[in-house]
Amino acid sequence: MNAAILNAQGVCKSYGKNEVLHDLDLTIEPGKIYGLIGRNGAGKTTLLGILTAQNTMDRGSVTYGGQSVWENQAVLDQMCFSRELQATLFSGQNNLKVKHYLKTAAIYYPNWDQAYADKLLSEFKLEPKKKICQLSKGQMSMVTILIALASRAPLTILDEPAAGLDVVMRERFYQLLLEDFSETGRTFIVSTHIIEEAASVFEQVIILDQGRILENRPTEELVDQFRYISGREDVVDAVCNGLEVLSTHQMSRHKTVAVRGDRIKLAEAQNADVDVSPMNLQNVFVALCGHGDTQ
Amino acid sequence: MRGTLNDQSLIYLQIARMLEDDILRGVYREEEQVPSTNELARGYNINPATAAKGINLLVAEDILYKKRGIGMFVSPGAGEIVQKKRKAAFYDGFVKPLVKEGASLALTGEELLAMVDQAIKEGEHK
Repeated sequence: MNAAILNAQGVCKSYGKNEVLHDLDLTIEPGKIYGLIGRNGAGKTTLLGILTAQNTMDRGSVTYGGQSVWENQAVLDQMCFSRELQATLFSGQNNLKVKHYLKTAAIYYPNWDQAYADKLLSEFKLEPKKKICQLSKGQMSMVTILIALASRAPLTILDEPAAGLDVVMRERFYQLLLEDFSETGRTFIVSTHIIEEAASVFEQVIILDQGRILENRPTEELVDQFRYISGREDVVDAVCNGLEVLSTHQMSRHKTVAVRGDRIKLAEAQNADVDVSPMNLQNVFVALCGHGDTQ
Repeated sequence: MRGTLNDQSLIYLQIARMLEDDILRGVYREEEQVPSTNELARGYNINPATAAKGINLLVAEDILYKKRGIGMFVSPGAGEIVQKKRKAAFYDGFVKPLVKEGASLALTGEELLAMVDQAIKEGEHK
């Protein structure tokens, strides 16, 4: 087991009466790409803000390499949290230009790689003189990606980098991420709603649901615990005995269930007169976090 | 190495299987180098740790071996090992489902064997 680089313990956060994070623990190990997935309003951005001391918390602690992150410049220099850009700031338009963001980033991040930033700037065809409010949603995402990658921060966090990007650009983003990761081995946390195409990029996946961490484990290990089992009602029921059933669909006597269990139990199911098929990460996510909304 | 990944089985298993296929087809011959973890990661847009897991699986089965500081190579006799492994998996993956499907169609054992016999003969004529 690697030593944890980032450690959150007992984190609670409320906005007014609404508690968004409930006594949350999270451990991040170095040299991995983490995927953070959760439904709208699950608390992803709040959590990422707290991990990087950009947001306050009501209770709990966050440490990086054993030191508290709060107002600790030495530790915060090791991190980059590239937030989503907004077209409006406070009450007006975001009239800051792309070059202002890049200049600020160059001052702010001690490991800033200007040559890499310039290369990405021309690859993304971003106009430095353009105002943020004149950019498309995808172009704003490109600016956040550029800053995150060129920051060369040992812990780099991207919030919804794929939002608004077209499919070609999303693939290019994953390529860039993997290339950089192969070279530097730095730690990434990437939040996304486009789960399936990112699944193979994430070594480890964190599922946040209603302010709690449901899962934090290797992606493939997690996915391999789930199956769909379908067939005649009574046979399916018999097979599912001892397995955790997450959702059920029934059409007359034909029944399909989403189950979770250990390898041996799932292998046994294969021997019965039912169809057993694997799930992908997106299916797993819906099974765990759907809460019946899909039916 | 060609082929694409699907979401029907775990990615590291698919990586291992694709390398095995290419060894059987002679894409990679004995004592030849196979793509590195990073090349696989780049080629398929997957996490290097996943690619490494697939390669390590084949190392554990003596299909690949590591030359320190150079890379991963196809072991002598790797083709035979893959074939042997595939034969064992053939029973579970093909023969058993065949019998199961036959039973659900109420085919008798003789009828099933007769069909297999016929398929073999048809294959010979081609």
